[in-house]
Amino acid sequence: MKKTHSFILVLTALVLFLSGCAGFQTSNNSNSTNNNENNNTEENSEGKTVIDFWTFWGSEIRRPIIEKIIADFNESQDEIEVKHTFLPFGDIWTKELASIAAGDPPDVVINDINATALRGQKKQAMNLSQFLEQDDISNRFYPELWDATLYEGDSYGIPFNTDTRVLFYNKDAFEEAGLDPEQPPTTWAELEEYAAKLDKKSGNDYERIGFYPLWGIGYDVWLLNANGQNYFDKENNVQIDTAKNEEVLNWLKTWKDRYGDKVVNSYQAQIDSQQGHPFFSGDLAMIAQAPTFYTQIRDYAEDLNFGVVELPEYEEGNGHTSWGGGFVAEIPEGSKNAEEAWEFIKYLTDVEAQTYWAVQNFDNVANVEAAEAASQSSEFTEDGSMVYQKAVENMEQTLLTPIPVVAPDFSSLINPNVDQFFLGSMTAKEALEKSQKDVENLIKKNQ
Amino acid sequence: MGKKRLTMRRKESIYGYIFVLPWIIGFLAFTAGPLVFSFAASFTNYNITSQMDFIGGENYKGLFTEDSLFWTSLWNTLYFVLFSVPLTTIGAIFLSALLNQDMPGIRFFRTLYYLPAVLSGVGVYMLWMQLLDPGTGMVNLVLSWFGIDGPNWLFDPNWTKPSLIFMKLWSVGGAMLLYLASMQGVSKNLYEAAEIDGANTWRKFFHITIPMITPVIFFDVVTSLIGGFQIFQEAYVMSNNGEGGPANSLLFYNLYMWKQAFTNFNMGYAMAMSWILFVIVFILTIFNLKLAPRWVHYEGEEK
Repeated sequence: MKKTHSFILVLTALVLFLSGCAGFQTSNNSNSTNNNENNNTEENSEGKTVIDFWTFWGSEIRRPIIEKIIADFNESQDEIEVKHTFLPFGDIWTKELASIAAGDPPDVVINDINATALRGQKKQAMNLSQFLEQDDISNRFYPELWDATLYEGDSYGIPFNTDTRVLFYNKDAFEEAGLDPEQPPTTWAELEEYAAKLDKKSGNDYERIGFYPLWGIGYDVWLLNANGQNYFDKENNVQIDTAKNEEVLNWLKTWKDRYGDKVVNSYQAQIDSQQGHPFFSGDLAMIAQAPTFYTQIRDYAEDLNFGVVELPEYEEGNGHTSWGGGFVAEIPEGSKNAEEAWEFIKYLTDVEAQTYWAVQNFDNVANVEAAEAASQSSEFTEDGSMVYQKAVENMEQTLLTPIPVVAPDFSSLINPNVDQFFLGSMTAKEALEKSQKDVENLIKKNQ
Repeated sequence: MGKKRLTMRRKESIYGYIFVLPWIIGFLAFTAGPLVFSFAASFTNYNITSQMDFIGGENYKGLFTEDSLFWTSLWNTLYFVLFSVPLTTIGAIFLSALLNQDMPGIRFFRTLYYLPAVLSGVGVYMLWMQLLDPGTGMVNLVLSWFGIDGPNWLFDPNWTKPSLIFMKLWSVGGAMLLYLASMQGVSKNLYEAAEIDGANTWRKFFHITIPMITPVIFFDVVTSLIGGFQIFQEAYVMSNNGEGGPANSLLFYNLYMWKQAFTNFNMGYAMAMSWILFVIVFILTIFNLKLAPRWVHYEGEEK
């Protein structure tokens, strides 16, 4: 028996030793990437280099569009063949991370634009300045998007698509309430005034609600709209606990108090379930949404007479700041075909592919020229064209909220406090003070 | 003679090890290896891709002294375990006692109550999100028939965890099956003897049925305790964006650990968290095992 015990002991030690090796290998592989570039590449039967492209676009609508773009690229030259791999949204980035750690990542991955700097800092995404020095394509994109991809001045991902938030309103409801359907609200005060006029009650029940600010977008968009800037400045100073933010939160709460929890919750449920969206049925007169909301109107409420306008401003002259996000195409650290991957990314973010994506998907794209070309597209209907043009115009005043590398999970420190405020167990001041303190501590810890 | 027997035994044990070898290799490579690796890495600032420097007990120190979310998540998890384990255990025993009756059509009910255990995963969570919807959900509709103004369930931080416990109670079918099987195994002689002595149904239940199924209760409590501490999916799916619910009320330990590991890339930190949880569960399980001889009755056991 003793012998078998020692046998197991040796085996354990061996396995631990091996797993230990694997651990250290991952931390070294960032150095070896570039040396590997030319050997070890995968080639297909025609001698083309095969690159693996991971996306989460597997839906009936998106998949054919991205695959058409890939097919066009494959036909356009005879050096590279792109292979598309679809992975579900919930899996793709954990899989990417695991494959980077294992030293065998795909060559191009679509990833969240807001955490690009963080992935750059952690050496998950490749520093693209080596390619940008030779062909600088940064001026293709909206500057706000480009800036979101930078970590210490270098880009770690190329913007692909984006979005923004605009106000959809029901023109028929406007007319019925005695408002001019061509004069949507431009300030928060007007928004409140119009909403009150658009409310329609029978007894204690609402037949129509004018507007509720927290359907479609969150409190943070309103803070951004009022401040015209994010919580963090370039030196990572935190501006959460401000008098203006307190005022904005209290203003948002007045809406909740006015309609009451019950109404808010039951409408929210209808919006979430996407069946019988109150905006489609005319039960809700205005809602802030991303422009792609139009595709739902097109599909489920064809006859709706609606207009679209930029978000109202805090007060006149404050600016109609809106909020957006988006995705980048990045090369994972350790890719063996980085040069070829770069060629593909250039194609993917160039005017032709971007215009095709924009028009077919009704999606905001990162390439400015393509966005403008798409807004003139004859493939859109009149309504579609109107929404798309507004979306493109709105990009000028759309801010992103990239995650600061020193406070990656700041939102999980702010959101709970704001939740408490809306539930009535904290005042706005308390919620903001606590958030400010927690986020400052987080930054101190990470610096 | 003695020598020969020894070699025989040795031979057999070698065969034994050969037979379990696939499992041993699997265990060492896929469980013990990562386990020890995670322990070592919990003392580093490991971030999966670019750094792994020894930082001593910083992670542990940070968790206990600077991280309020750590305590929130630990509290949420304890709350969940504290209520869900006893409630689901009692629920399952109660249900199996009901279904252990001899009456026509009992098979139909057994199937019916077992069904939720067959359905599992995300589909069930989605279903419950609809059922628990404050405005349009079935649960509040039924409550309103009795004049009860139902709570906001998943939208009210005070009700989010009870919502999940409620959902867990619905799917006690799996444990119920174990109890039912073991109840059916209780010898009829015992009940007959008790009846002759004049015991009523309650006494029979508490003095025969319960003691006879204590091994299964023990098994169920230990496994559901461990399972309870590992709650993750429910909160990930049933809270907005997987954020952990209103006011962090569904930020369970594993969810927070997952966020640290895969959205903040603080893998070393997350590994330290996993070891703290390991120690907690380990202590509780040891405690359980020590306590077991006092109340678990094994038939044919030599005292």
